[in-house]
This record gives sequence, C-alpha cells and structure tokens, in this order.
Amino acid sequence: MNDLTKRFSEIAFEERGADHLLLMVERHGNVGPVLISRGEDPGDARTDVPYQLVTILTNILPFMGKAKVALVCRRCDEKALAELAKRGIVDDASVVKIGLACSKEQVQRCRCSDCVPSKVDIGEPSEPCPEDALAAELTAMSTEDRAEFWKRQFRKCNKCFGCTVNCPVCFCDDCVLEERTYTPEEGIPPGQAFHLIRSFHLADKCVECGECERSCPADIPLLTLRKMVNRDMKDLFNYTSGDRERKSPLLTTLDDQPLEDDVHAC
Amino acid sequence: MSMRVEHVLTTCPYCGTGCRFYLQVVDNKLIGVVPCKTDEISQGRLCIKGYNAHAFVQHPDRLTHPMVREGGQLRKATWDEALDKVVSELKRVSAEHGPDSVVVLASAKCTNEENYLFQKLARAAIGTNNVDHCARLCHASTVAGLLMSFGSGAMTNTIPEFEDADCVLVTGSNTLEAHPLIGARILRAHDKGAKVVVIDPRDTPLSRIAHTSIHQQPGTDIAWINGMIKIIIDEGLHDEAFIRDRTSGFDELRKTVEPYTPEKVEDITRIPKQELIDAARTYANAEKAMIAYAMGVTQHSNGTNIVRALANLAMVTGNVGRESTGVNPLRGQCNVQGACDAGGLPDLFPGYQRVEDADARKRFEAAWGRTLPPTKGTTLTCAIKDVLVGKVKAMVIFGENPMLSDPDIAHVEEALKELEFLAVAEIFPTDTTKLADVVLPGACYAEKDGTFTSTDRAIRPLHKAVDPPGEAKPDWVIACELGRRLGAQGFDFPSPADVLDEMARLAPIYGGISYDRADKQVLRWPCPTKDHKGTPVLHIGGFKIGKGVLVPVDHAPPAEETSEEYPFILTTGRNLFHFHTGTMTRRSPKLEREAPEPYVEVNTADAKRLGISDSGRVRVSSRRGEITLKARVTDWIMPGVIFIPFHYAEAAANRLTNPALDPVAKIPEFKVCAAQLKKA
Repeated sequence: MNDLTKRFSEIAFEERGADHLLLMVERHGNVGPVLISRGEDPGDARTDVPYQLVTILTNILPFMGKAKVALVCRRCDEKALAELAKRGIVDDASVVKIGLACSKEQVQRCRCSDCVPSKVDIGEPSEPCPEDALAAELTAMSTEDRAEFWKRQFRKCNKCFGCTVNCPVCFCDDCVLEERTYTPEEGIPPGQAFHLIRSFHLADKCVECGECERSCPADIPLLTLRKMVNRDMKDLFNYTSGDRERKSPLLTTLDDQPLEDDVHAC
Repeated sequence: MSMRVEHVLTTCPYCGTGCRFYLQVVDNKLIGVVPCKTDEISQGRLCIKGYNAHAFVQHPDRLTHPMVREGGQLRKATWDEALDKVVSELKRVSAEHGPDSVVVLASAKCTNEENYLFQKLARAAIGTNNVDHCARLCHASTVAGLLMSFGSGAMTNTIPEFEDADCVLVTGSNTLEAHPLIGARILRAHDKGAKVVVIDPRDTPLSRIAHTSIHQQPGTDIAWINGMIKIIIDEGLHDEAFIRDRTSGFDELRKTVEPYTPEKVEDITRIPKQELIDAARTYANAEKAMIAYAMGVTQHSNGTNIVRALANLAMVTGNVGRESTGVNPLRGQCNVQGACDAGGLPDLFPGYQRVEDADARKRFEAAWGRTLPPTKGTTLTCAIKDVLVGKVKAMVIFGENPMLSDPDIAHVEEALKELEFLAVAEIFPTDTTKLADVVLPGACYAEKDGTFTSTDRAIRPLHKAVDPPGEAKPDWVIACELGRRLGAQGFDFPSPADVLDEMARLAPIYGGISYDRADKQVLRWPCPTKDHKGTPVLHIGGFKIGKGVLVPVDHAPPAEETSEEYPFILTTGRNLFHFHTGTMTRRSPKLEREAPEPYVEVNTADAKRLGISDSGRVRVSSRRGEITLKARVTDWIMPGVIFIPFHYAEAAANRLTNPALDPVAKIPEFKVCAAQLKKA
C-alpha cells in the first residue's frame, strides 16, 4: 500500500463514511480498477491511467444495495454523476466523491477546458486547455470537406461498441444502435446513422471525458466530435452537460415546459 | 463486505491477438468486461467479441456433469465412473490394437499447461505420438513452411510493430474482422502514411481503406508472389547484401521465378499486370515492410509452398530480422500458438523438438521416466481417414468440434461413428459430443488459471474469475486424473504454474518463462533463461539454421477445379461477430444479433444472371454435399467466386469443402472447392 492508497482510504472510510472505495491500483504488472472495503489493502494506488470509474461503478451499483461507495472522481466524472443523478439512475446519497485534479499531461490529452473538480482532494489543479486544435481546423473547413473528413474516419469503425460500452452517460437498457432499423446486421463499417444517432443521442449528456476516443481501436477523434456537438448545444440552447440542477433543454415541451417524469430517462 | 466484487485480469478467449481485460465479477457472477488500459497489445481497446467474452460463460447450456452412453443414450454419471470408463476403454483398445490405435486431440482453446498435459498423456501415459489439434486446420502449413525457410515457425515480429511499418502487405487475411486489434494497428500505420496493400479475392473492410486493393483468383497465390519476386529482381529492387550474407538458394529462386512474367501472372491470377508491378514496387521500395497473412494463404493443398513463397519475397527484399518487417502469420485462436509450442503436434515435442531426434527423445524419456515412441504420429486430418481403414479405434478430444470445423463433415461423421470409443471434454454440447461415449464437462477460460501464448509469441496469463458450473473441472485436472488412472507417473501437479515449470525445463524456448514472471511483464519466446527479457523480433543478425533458405516453388492449380456442373469457386472464412463453430459466440446475444443467420456472398453480376435476389434463398452444393441459405448479393466478391462463413451448424460450409490435403502439412483446402449455386 503506498501513501496514495492510504490517503484515499482515509478520505473514503474515516472522513466521509463510505462502505467501499473504487480506485485504480497496480497489480499483475498492469493498472486496473479495484473495489475495496474498509481495512483492505489493494496494493499501490495510481491516478495516471484514466479508467472510466463512473462506468465501472454503474455496472456494479445495481448489486450494491444501500452501500455507500467512494470513488476517485475527476471533474468530468463528477459531471457524469450529475447527469446520472438528475435522471434518477444514480442516487446522490450512495456515492462519495474523492476529487482528483487531473495532471497537466492528462488535461492536454483531453484538450479539457473544465478540469478542476469542485473539491480537490488529490493532485494539483492544472490550467485548462483553451481549444481543441482539430475542432478549430474542422470548423474552418467547408461543410463538404468536413463531411468528407468524418466519412473517412467512420469508414474505419469496426463496430466494437467500445464508445458506448465505456461511456459513463450511455445508460439505455435497449441501445438504439442495436436497433435493426438504424443499424442493420450487415457487417462493418456500420452506416452513417450509427455515428449520427450516437452523436445526437448524447448531445445533452456528454461530459467530454474522452473515454470513447481512448477506447476506439480505429483512433477516430470522437472527443473532437463530442466537443463540436457540445459547442452547438451551448450556442443553440446555452446548455452545458454536467449541471446537477439544470434540466436538459431537450427534455422540455416546445413551450419550454418540463416533460413528464417517466420520459426523462434518455 | 457482504458481496464479493472483483475485477479479474485475464486474456481474451477468441482470436490469437491476446487482448487482455478485467472480468467484472459480483458474487461469482460475471457482469461485464473492462479493457486493460496498460496492456501493451490491446491498449485498453477490444473488439465486439472481446466486450462480450463474459456472455457465454454462465449460459444455461453449459455442461455441468459427466455423462456416459448407455443403451444408445447419454446419461448423467459421476466423475469416477466417467473417468474409469475412459481409462478402461483406452486400456482395452490399446491392448487389442496397440497404442497407435488411440488418438488424442489437444485444443487451441485450452491453456499451454493443459496442452502440455494432453501431449504428455498421449506420449507418456498411452504411449503414442498420435496427438494433434486444430492448428492442423489453420496454420500447419505455416509451422512447416517457416520452419524450413527460417528455422522457426512463428510470427517473426510483434503486433505493436505494425504501426511503424512503411508498408504492410496483407494477403489471405480479413484482418479487421478476424484479428480486429491487429487490423487496428495496420489502420494506424495507414493513418501515419504507410502503404497498405491488400491482396485477397474478396473486398474486406481493410482492403476498402487500403492504399492498394488487388483481387486474385483463389488458388493462384504462388503465381503472384513469384511474379512480384521477378519484378523486384528485374528492376534491381532486391537487397543484394542481405541475399548474399543471410540466405542460400538465390540462383535457383531466380530461375524458378523467371517465367512468371506479369502477363503470365495476369493469365493465371486475373491480377492486371500494372497492379502487380505497382504492388511489387511499393513493397520493395519500403524501408520497413511487413507481410501479414492468415488462412487465405495456409488453407490450400499447396499451403506450405505459398508460405515459403512469402518467406522468399521477404528475404529477397531484406525484410527479415529488423523491427517492423518480417513474415507474420496471424494465428486465429487464443492459444493455437501455445498448443503448438506445448507439443500438441504428432511430430514435435514441446518447444519444436522432433520426436524422431534421439537426443530430444532421450531428454523427455529421462524426465517422464519411460521409453517413448520414436516415430511421428498421425495428424488430425489423417486420423479421420485412419479410422475408416481400421487403424484408429479410440479418440479422446479436448475442446474441439470436428463435426463442424473439419472439411467434408459427412465423412467426419462416418469416421467418428465408426470409432469403438470416443471421449469428449467440452464446455457446451456440440455436434461432436452427441457422438461421444463419454462426455466430460470442462472449465472455460474464465474459470481457471494458466497461460495462453498470443500470435506474437507473448505469454498471456489467465486468472480464475468464477467457479466452473456444477461439477465441471478444468481440463488440466481432467488430464492429470486420466494420466494417474492410466498408471503413469508425473501427473501430480498442484497448479498450472507447476506444469509450466516442467514445460520450461524441457522446452528451451520457454526456459525462462514462469507464471510469476509472465504475470509481471510481457515475455515473448524464445526466452531461454530466468534473466532473459524475451525476444520480440526473431532472426536479428542471423537465422537459427544459419542462412535463410530460399526455396523455389511453382504454381500448381488447386486440388479441385471448376467444371460445367460446379462452375463457382467456393471459399470459406469468418465474420467479425462469430468465432469458429459458434459454440461460444452464438450463445452471446449481442454477437448473435449482429450475424444471426448463415449467408453466402455472391457477386452482383452472377446473382443477376442466375435470378438470385439479395436475401433470397439459394442452394449451394459441391461434390460432397449441399446446404441452403440466404444470399448476400455484393460487389465485394469477384465474379465466379462465392464465400460462406463456416460458423453456422444449420448450413455448415464444411459439408461442402474439400478434404484434399497439403502433402507436407496435411492441412485441408478449405479455401477452394468447386461449387454449384442455384435459386432455392
């Protein structure tokens, strides 16, 4: 157990009364996720490998009953949890956040403009990254060239569903991307609908954690795509995902009234 | 905590890439897969099969107790009864007909440790070299061919090196579907500016992106490879220093390729001559060029020669023994490399030591405490024929399904029914277990410890995540039980790690490998000593056999040619979503949803001529059988050629395929047979 593990355990169990702690540790020559209880020694904690702990947590939460789980939480994770809590998928009371300020290198890799958690427990806050260079380049292109760029990228898609499986805010029980009408079972690459549906479906949820891009075997710059859609959401609706209080503008009637509760899920 | 939540690091059970992931376990229940981000090979990415690798494990169809046949029916039995039945039958058959009347089939889905035990069971407990496995059906020609050319029958380079190559020549490999994470590395090379050249009778997802896509008629590979070598020599693009210092046989090779002019090659292969010339230049002019190939090369009645021709092409251009070069057979099962390494082959002890070599035999006799048979055993493909002439009477099959995976299934069925005794260890009921006298329930990859060896020779550990269902046991336990009950010594292993230690002592290429070491770092064989870091690139500075051998080979037509009655060439292969006989993937809902039913790919012009519409039913027949399935009409396949994936029992492509064998490697010609296509 290194000092970092000790510190995480202290915050989770002593200071914030959690029953379990989800973190990343070094084991078997690799770094991976682990869930521990009070008093357990998981080995040396690491914060430099960006596992999507919110996704990992939401996979196991349905089995956890009323237990309180602490997790190492970056700014984007905190926002993902806000999106999930707002929709009633995660109970605020069952999750204890341990704020991790991302390293400068990680902020650069994510071209992240919002990188400091509301409470920093571990790490030193870094300067945000003002711009995604590729997004700027694409914005300067003609519509035709931009479409051509994305088509070239999407042609590499191998339909692994990694972008979806690992996404913290993909939570539908029945995924529309597995719906024959939109993505028939004709092998790879999937048609344009696959990427466009995913793009718009996440428009009011994506917190730009970048896990889709990191998971993509084809190196499709999916985080850039997300940032561009999010920018449109901001321009069109003055809305940014990750706000615990504000409801998505897509979940309103045409007269800006909130929709009935049971249709809020997606 | 009241419930047990674990993330268990293990290795994917599908293709031979060797991706690693964490299985998410809650109270012995598998709930998901998290890719391992720090793994050197998979880098936190997986394909759709990997993401669904948990889905079949706890399926209700799993075999949960042993069964023995009684009155024509399989009934539930205890382990003691089932194991004793196997042992008494093997003893009886062996006493009546000699040990060579027994065949053991090892498994490319089992661990290194298990395969080591399977071959030890055959050799040291039964007393026969009749041990083989499905490598016979996929890369037997690679092992034979590359052993002759280079002195080592495995991938010369490693998976990560693909992304730094200047040229990647892919042939007979639908890489993005069959080895998705290797395909991803090739895409990355492409994105970085490398020239990707794909030569395949079908358009594949990779060929549609590649710099160059060339279609050859199936069964004409040696012609285009020799043609490329001729162009390279004629244009002075060959590497004279490498040829002089590192190879032998160049003059003979030059003479052999001389007649393969671009015009002649075009006649044989249907490759337009300028395309061939451009491809030859692209490959030869690259500073670092890698060749990647798979079943499209090996599954021919002259597969060994095609492999040697590719080795010639690499050596003539000096593309061996450096990073991001080489000849790279992509092995298709999680542990087909390891099953070969561990000696699951009738002519080779663990570590590719010949059973006919007296010194090697002496070492194994000393270690195992008994005399061993000095002649090589029969192959999987020959064993089927040997049953029908009465030479083979009993078979023990570990985790294979020859009733769907072997060519000419009707013939296989006849042979398996002819056996006096058949025992099958499996995880699910299959068409093969239906014919067994004893069925033993095995544990799958998620239920045991051990190691796989990936296609690039990396040792990849497995960690047990959940318990096997019911009374099922890991195959290494079953093999040890059988060995002990047969009265043999040396089957008392407390764990797979101890088995690996014994293998390391006897196989020098594994000498430095142990479970603990492999669990902390990526080790690639050869790794001769405990302080050796492993060998990513083979043949640096020299070949194990001294000089690389340029073996001149000539084009020969496939064993079966088209006729008026059977005018189409049928070729078979995989799709992205299913794996082999579908035993696992077809029980994984998300995979089955993507590719739920069998189909045949037919060229648009052929379909029009025969009045076949997209999704219409068609009947495909060959001289051996007939199946009915859906047509997929497409321009992605050449006119005159049809393709059927072999995953589907309800329309098994292998009812049609030709069991003609390569004379050296005994691999069947899955990739070419003559077929008839009709509207159903």
